[in-house]
Amino acid sequence: MTASALTRPGERERLIVKLGQIDWTFCAVLTAITLAGGAMLWSIAGGSWTPWAAKHLILFAVCLAAMIALAMVDPRVWFALAYPVYGAGLVLLAAVAVVGHASLGAKRWLDIGPIRLQPSEIIKIGLVLAIARFYHSLPPGRARLSWWLLIPAAMTAIPAAAVAHQPDLGTALLIAATGGIMMILAGLSLRLVGAGLVGVVAILPPVFMFALKGYQRARLLTFLDPEADRSGAGYHIIQSKIALGSGGLLGKGFGLGTQSQLNFLPEKSTDFIFSSLAEEFGFVGCASILLLYAAAIFMSLRMASLSHSHFGRLAAAGVTTTFALCVLINGAMVMGLAPVVGVPMPLLSFGGTVMITMMVGFGLVLAVRVHRYSEVTSGRGALI
Amino acid sequence: MTKPSIIFNEVNERQGLFHRRAFLFGAVTGAGLLALGGRLGQLQLLQAGRYLTLSEHNEFGFRLTPPPRGLILDRYGVVLASNRPDFRLLVAKDEHTDIEAILANLARLVPMDDARRERLTADIQAAPRRAPVAVMEDMTWEEFSRINVRAPELPGVTADMGEVRVYPYGGSFAHVIGYVAKVSEADITRTGPNADPILLNPGFRIGKQGVEKAFDLPLRGRAGARKVEVDVKGRVVRKDPGGDIASTPGEPVRLTLDADIQNRALEVFGEDSGAAVMMDCRSGDILCLASAPSFDANRFVKGLTGAEYRALAAYDRKPLFNKALTATYPPGSTFKTMVALAALEMGIDPATTHTCNRVWFWGGRPWHCDKAHGTLDMHDAIKTSCDIYFFQTALAVGPDRIAAVARRFGLGAIHDIGIPGQKPGIVPDTAYKRRAFPRDPVWHPGETPSMGIGQGYVNVNALQLCVMAARLANGRRAIEPRLIHAIGPDVQSPGNAVPDLPFDKAHIDFVRAAMAAVVESGTAAHVAQLGLGPIKLAGKTGTAQSHNYTAAAQGAHGAQGAWALRDHAWFICFAPYDDPRYAMSVLVEHGGFGADAAAPKAVQLMRVALLKDPEIRARIVQPLPDGSAAGTPATPT
Repeated sequence: MTASALTRPGERERLIVKLGQIDWTFCAVLTAITLAGGAMLWSIAGGSWTPWAAKHLILFAVCLAAMIALAMVDPRVWFALAYPVYGAGLVLLAAVAVVGHASLGAKRWLDIGPIRLQPSEIIKIGLVLAIARFYHSLPPGRARLSWWLLIPAAMTAIPAAAVAHQPDLGTALLIAATGGIMMILAGLSLRLVGAGLVGVVAILPPVFMFALKGYQRARLLTFLDPEADRSGAGYHIIQSKIALGSGGLLGKGFGLGTQSQLNFLPEKSTDFIFSSLAEEFGFVGCASILLLYAAAIFMSLRMASLSHSHFGRLAAAGVTTTFALCVLINGAMVMGLAPVVGVPMPLLSFGGTVMITMMVGFGLVLAVRVHRYSEVTSGRGALI
Repeated sequence: MTKPSIIFNEVNERQGLFHRRAFLFGAVTGAGLLALGGRLGQLQLLQAGRYLTLSEHNEFGFRLTPPPRGLILDRYGVVLASNRPDFRLLVAKDEHTDIEAILANLARLVPMDDARRERLTADIQAAPRRAPVAVMEDMTWEEFSRINVRAPELPGVTADMGEVRVYPYGGSFAHVIGYVAKVSEADITRTGPNADPILLNPGFRIGKQGVEKAFDLPLRGRAGARKVEVDVKGRVVRKDPGGDIASTPGEPVRLTLDADIQNRALEVFGEDSGAAVMMDCRSGDILCLASAPSFDANRFVKGLTGAEYRALAAYDRKPLFNKALTATYPPGSTFKTMVALAALEMGIDPATTHTCNRVWFWGGRPWHCDKAHGTLDMHDAIKTSCDIYFFQTALAVGPDRIAAVARRFGLGAIHDIGIPGQKPGIVPDTAYKRRAFPRDPVWHPGETPSMGIGQGYVNVNALQLCVMAARLANGRRAIEPRLIHAIGPDVQSPGNAVPDLPFDKAHIDFVRAAMAAVVESGTAAHVAQLGLGPIKLAGKTGTAQSHNYTAAAQGAHGAQGAWALRDHAWFICFAPYDDPRYAMSVLVEHGGFGADAAAPKAVQLMRVALLKDPEIRARIVQPLPDGSAAGTPATPT
């Protein structure tokens, strides 16, 4: 690739050139993670493509195609769609609170004809786009410390609160953290961040002692000492740790994990898929998967940095943030380092909506990369 | 807001800031991933051995669930024994358990005195590891929920709902049905049904007496199981309702008893001590098998305190003793029916007369009668219960013939009614004497007159006398008593599928006629009137010495003197005389004269049975002269 070739007018708009600009290594990494997930889903189903593995892989194939298609979409289109998507996400969140389909005691779904919508997933993408668009238009000095920053803070807090109300604490935390980290990436004063962290640490003990209800306290304590409640909340953590630890260096072998095969492991196809993998493939397998995740995160972050537009940078970084947070939270959870919150391991866990969200997000990241030289204006109606 | 331009002036500044921040973010993420990798290394490399052990011992186990115990019903389906929910508290210890602390905590929530706490501490310590011990039963709902709410603070303590046996009639059926009680170590066997691990379940109870004991296995049912997941230490960590095995409830046992008659029997006896047995003399069904005084079987289910047990055991009227089956007494004058029948069978003319002058000298000693009856024949001798007549008749017949007849009528034998605890009693003859008295194996003639009035060696229980009365009433069949109507769907064979009595019907009818005369104008004339119009009772009184009278204690005959020295009162009877249906025997221990103590009780119970019988009622209720039925008020015109 020479600069001259790409700088020829119109050259960058050719489809074949655009496809060439897609980071195929990145796609390969994502595919490798998903294939590992598919293999584990096959294994824990007792060597069966149903009910999980086949669906998982087919959905991934569809999502991969969609991701590549989305990569062809000019960031300016994403830019124009940012607020509408965010707004639609908020409306749907409000709708789900009113008429949502309750499952397992939480209203998260919205049934629209045959389609089942999970607005909390839409708002994940919508929030990333909206914050990126907001900062794109914000004079740089204000991004550090100004009253204007209340706008992205509110943009984050409103959907986070709505999702927490569902109640889906894991997703709410994810949304809040994504918004916060994007603000930091956009240049929020590190002193303010530090002061905030100190404040949170200072306020935790009194909150724990006085504001939390007994059972909430018990749940937190369970995470710290799972042995205290072996059959209740501690069960997940203990069983997951047993699965992990018993895997050893090389694992028990594909399809031979007793914890996962014998159903000791709860939620083994979704939140605790990593434990099954750890049991059957051991430290070597886990480390490999973690390396793949690290590769995906750093490649994605690099693609974000390459963009010439601030919107592109922040949007791609936002998607990367969500992805990285999922990996870290789920990893910490299955290893007994964090309380059990319902955050899946992206691409490894079975679960359609999360995969769609992630692949759409990566479509955005790839679009930013493919169009990294294009300049995004901020004017209303400048595009489409 | 200024109109944003396409290319910012400060582009490099903003881009540079982003790059620095992205680098920071990447570093933090990388550190996070490294931390995860480190944690993986800790779990999978350093502690792998420990977790491998845990994973190998993670397994499914089954926890037994006790089956609901089968009901015990009376002949009409009235429930005599059932189960009620029982809120109880279980404590299981493991190596971390501080029993004292747990009990101290519990004592703040439920009433528990120090003595109880000490006993429980010992119980829990003695129990195997993790075997739950029931520390409290029969908690109120409030106590139960109080514990349940605080369960997380009480490790090792579980509040659960079990079932416990309940006997709605308390004492009425205590001797027949018996009771269930906690399994003792002696109950558990290595093999057989009592090797069943369900016996170790906390709060599980097995039948200890009566029907509960005899039919413990069908009543018990088969234990189910709850599938649970246990960890390497055997602690339950998860339940799996899908893998549960349902328990098989115990079979109901239906008795032939009639709850109305049985309950009435206990009322009729009041403070008196004794037994009442009633049979349907057509089918052999036992309608009443009561022993008084009784005890509340529910106390035994709960577990008697030492004081309660001592009080029951020390009471001289022996409430724990089944006087209908286990206790044998001389039958007294009721035995004269057997002597008379033996004489008739031998060919002795019932018109033979003897003269009673109150005292009769024979064998060098005086033999007493209650009063001077004068000269009388066999009919009148039965009617007035003349001892002197039967002394002489017995001598004429001899012990072996009397014994043979008595045995044909069910005396001296154990009747298989399904429950344990029967004593056979004694019907003596020369062979008995040889067997039982090796040092004096000869039947002396002087022993025969006593036998003729149902004294001496003769010993029977109330059931046997009822069988005798029932066979006399039936007149044809040697009917057998039946107590168990059905076990689950298996109906037991009735007591009338038996051979005929090998006696001349005319002879039996003679005795029956004499028994009718006893009630009509004999010893029971003033005390045994049914008052049911055409329904007449036939009976025989008996007054049995409870000990050998010395010269000094001569005056203790009847209801005089100390209670424990008084005579036993008997009354056997059947009704209606013309078409016998119900036969019974009543014993009043140390009650004095049979006519005074036993006969009125028999009449009251007989009335209950007769008035329950619709055909009998139809006979009693005669149409009034104006054509309307008696007892229904005439409609005013």
